[in-house]
Amino acid sequence: MSENYKFDTLSLHAGHIPDKETGSRAVPIYQTTSYVFNSTEEAASLYNMEVGGHLYTRISNPTVAALEQRLAALEGGASALACSSGMAAMHLVVSAICSSGDHIVASSKMYGANINLLQHTMPRFGVNTDFVNPNDPEAIKRAIKPNTKLVFGEVIGNPGLDIMDVPEIAKICNSKNIPLVLDATFNTPYLMQPFKHGANIIVHSLTKWLGGHGIAIGGAIVNGGNFDWGDKDKFPTISGPHFALGGISFWEEFGPSALIAKIRAEGMYNFGPSLSPTNAFHLMQGIETLPLRMKKHIENTHSILDFLVNHEMVEWVKHPDLETHPDHEVAKRILPKGSGSIVAFGIKGGREAGKAFIESVQLASHLANVGDAKTLLIHPGSTTHSHLSSEAMKEGGLTDDMIRLSVGLEDINDITKDFERGFRAVKKLNK
Amino acid sequence: MIINFKGAKTYIGTGGKSLDVSKMTLCFLHGAGQNHLSFIQQARFFAYKGYSVVVPDMPAHGFSDGNPCKSIKENAEWINDLLVELNLKDVVVIGHSQGCLVALELNRILKSSLEALIFVAGSNEIPVNQFLLDLSKENPQKASEMMVTWGHGIDGDMSINKWPGHSHYGEGNNIMCMNKSTALRYDLHACNDYSDGIDAAKNIKVPALAVLAKNDQMTPLKSGLKFLELIKNCETHTLDCGHFLPSERPMELNSIINSFLSKLK
Ligand SMILES: Cc1ncc(COP(=O)(O)O)c(C=O)c1O
Repeated sequence: MSENYKFDTLSLHAGHIPDKETGSRAVPIYQTTSYVFNSTEEAASLYNMEVGGHLYTRISNPTVAALEQRLAALEGGASALACSSGMAAMHLVVSAICSSGDHIVASSKMYGANINLLQHTMPRFGVNTDFVNPNDPEAIKRAIKPNTKLVFGEVIGNPGLDIMDVPEIAKICNSKNIPLVLDATFNTPYLMQPFKHGANIIVHSLTKWLGGHGIAIGGAIVNGGNFDWGDKDKFPTISGPHFALGGISFWEEFGPSALIAKIRAEGMYNFGPSLSPTNAFHLMQGIETLPLRMKKHIENTHSILDFLVNHEMVEWVKHPDLETHPDHEVAKRILPKGSGSIVAFGIKGGREAGKAFIESVQLASHLANVGDAKTLLIHPGSTTHSHLSSEAMKEGGLTDDMIRLSVGLEDINDITKDFERGFRAVKKLNK
Repeated sequence: MIINFKGAKTYIGTGGKSLDVSKMTLCFLHGAGQNHLSFIQQARFFAYKGYSVVVPDMPAHGFSDGNPCKSIKENAEWINDLLVELNLKDVVVIGHSQGCLVALELNRILKSSLEALIFVAGSNEIPVNQFLLDLSKENPQKASEMMVTWGHGIDGDMSINKWPGHSHYGEGNNIMCMNKSTALRYDLHACNDYSDGIDAAKNIKVPALAVLAKNDQMTPLKSGLKFLELIKNCETHTLDCGHFLPSERPMELNSIINSFLSKLK
């Protein structure tokens, strides 16, 4: 009782205690769409959000709820909501906070789909975004307008690995009463807990390190509970009367959990990006070993960095834990355990060399994901960005020799041996 | 709803329904350092059952401005004046923790219009240790965090919650952070200084209900049971949870209160 369990313990236990009836130690998979009501009164009280409970799996489910409560505990948030993907989580947050005429300030160096959503899709609905350099808090401050409703960025940017100075940016947002929403996919709560640095809302792609095994797509929103939504003119659909439930004010009725309550009542109810209970179970299995995996991810990353930095075939290596990285000082301050297990590096010989390397390694998998327990590689110059010239790639902050590496948990000597095989193929090509 | 009361902005939760003074009123009184959000799962529940519900944020708590009351008696007088201001007549008072002490004092003032008293995780006294009293002045946020941890049973530690996706600790800390930073200190001193509980309890003439928590570390079960011996004919229930019973066992609490109320009608 009142043990205040630590991170490793919560990763295994939070959100579930064995029920008395079955004693099931593992979280059961409640593979059901709906739940029998004991009475019409009970049904009505669930629909009216009088009390918590489950009525339909699009809105909530006991297995999914265990995952949500585990994430809330690991992040130190007031509440969490899991959904079908990281992108669904992102869209749910944006659509819950913003309406037509509103403005967003976002990092210019983010995952392509995050950029696309804000740059191309949301403007069609009257929500416009100004993109600014994520490592320049002053630029973020200057971009904030009277109708700005949120500031968004990735703690560790994908794929450029820019680090946001979260405490500095949080101070700016706080002084302007604007929520700071962060995509914390690349850091996970193991490396850094954004609420402790003043952020207000976290978006996760659970598909990556949290799930950690490349077997299920999922996303989550964690609500810090530390944001004041009380300004009815600024956040009318959260603190003012909402069409749902006869004009409910989510802020007055649910306080710290207002945003999640709204997303459940509106986003999950009307858009419906629910997470399947089976995928919630798979993702939770991953979270059980998150601390162990992240330790090894970081250990292997540091070894690989050593290997690459000293390799004759490598032109450049980028990782925030290297002193040569422009955000190294910020990374040391806010990510003291390490800044993730994505490494970018360039191979001598440009686009052709990158292609030869990728095609010759055999242990590392060539695919479009990150954060798997297995080592993953992609060469944007010959895949996702193959249609672009070297110059056009440079404009987007990429180079045609760049390999994006997601360091896995294999024996480090096996990874380096595999890379040597790739480098030998490049050497042959260069001859 | 927000009203101007005694010159200060005052928030009163009404469970999502507008106040109808012709109905029986349930007045919920929050505990030390808390606010109306202690009763998230009671306010809407009873408002939708046809009761008139008022859950005031005491001065300097939640959305209410003003200076915190300095004693349990001052809290009771403030509530009494508020009920008069709102023109509420048939009132059932439901206190949680410190709210139980306020209810005891209110019982002395409110006689004519009081229908029943309900004590949730309560006692006739709430002594507060010196460490917490000091901490509530020096570092109210830290003091709040400690109360939230002590205040919950195993569901707090394990992030178990009847409300899908919610965390008792994360939510509890942030509910307490919404108050003015002096609120907790005044509340804890008011609790610690209150010594009229025995007389006040013996003085109860209306029907009474008590719901206690087995693993209560703030107002221990033993103290709660001793308190109940002082009250004539108090219906008693004990639930397997911590001090924050309204959020830890919402359905059980609501159904106990509901059947108690139905016997009053
Ligand atoms: C930083 C970041 N955020 C969000 C996403 C989207 O996640 P999902 O694929 O789960 O929708 C990704 C996917 O690559 C990502 O890298």
